[in-house]
Amino acid sequence: MKKIITAIFGIWLMVAPGVLNYSKEAADNGHIIGPIVLTFSIIALWDATNGIRKWNYPFALWLLIAPWILGYENTTAIISDIASGIFIFIFSFLKHPVQQSFGGGWQSLFQKNPEHLEKAKKNS
Amino acid sequence: MERNNIPPGWQYNPSTWSQRIPIIILAFVGVGVAGYLSLYQFELINTVWEPFFGNDSIKILNSKISHILPIPDAALGAFGYLVDAVTGIIGGKNRWRNMPWIVIIFGLAVGPLGFVSVLLVVFQPVLFSAWCTLCLVSAVISIAMIGPAMDEMLASLQYMQRAKHAKVSMWKVFWGVKSEVLKVT
Repeated sequence: MKKIITAIFGIWLMVAPGVLNYSKEAADNGHIIGPIVLTFSIIALWDATNGIRKWNYPFALWLLIAPWILGYENTTAIISDIASGIFIFIFSFLKHPVQQSFGGGWQSLFQKNPEHLEKAKKNS
Repeated sequence: MERNNIPPGWQYNPSTWSQRIPIIILAFVGVGVAGYLSLYQFELINTVWEPFFGNDSIKILNSKISHILPIPDAALGAFGYLVDAVTGIIGGKNRWRNMPWIVIIFGLAVGPLGFVSVLLVVFQPVLFSAWCTLCLVSAVISIAMIGPAMDEMLASLQYMQRAKHAKVSMWKVFWGVKSEVLKVT
């Protein structure tokens, strides 16, 4: 559910420039960041790849400062980007309610004694 | 010997058909959509279905980016989806252990296709100020396949990691050499 909310913000970033007549800089920013946030949000819908939600953080933070760095002329665009950034950050930060362990998950691949190895020893 | 097909520390087996069939269906839908768009790029049809953005689809499909390679991008996309579908189909319901090579090729085929799709979605409005509905549909399909394909890849990679710990040849396990596979739990 949380990832669906961030996905909707991703779609909003993509359509807002057309709906609200943004200037070129603000429009390009939305057209670039929107698909990226949408992609990570969709991938994060699955438990095994829920960690991808964290990849949204830098883009959410970028939305908070982009209006000044890129020099937006449109107040609506500034408000929209900042609000989107805040909400994308908050909802990307929240974990799935049900977390499966996946034998230690992706980080297990870099661990010396991962969970799946321990479980395999016990089973045999 | 009967072996447990659920990877250790997991709650389910990621290689069952109920896990894989939805991805395979998505991949075939992708073949259809991208294949249809490539018919236009190969000039076999004169127009494409575009319900929202007028002439935009045609603008995108004729753009420089879409013809940057010798083969038009929709045709490459259709081929990519076909690879996803075929590598999704090959192997039985314990292929994460018996055929890591196909699972890993499958994961590698799904990932980059999704990445390229997103890149092309960004190019549409930024470079050409246009949107192409079916191109967006194709991109959504390729992204929706990534999550469900990656769990199987994780199971195979963890399996190879256990092979390494057991000092069994990772190379032979990767190719599913049976005598080696039986040595690793």
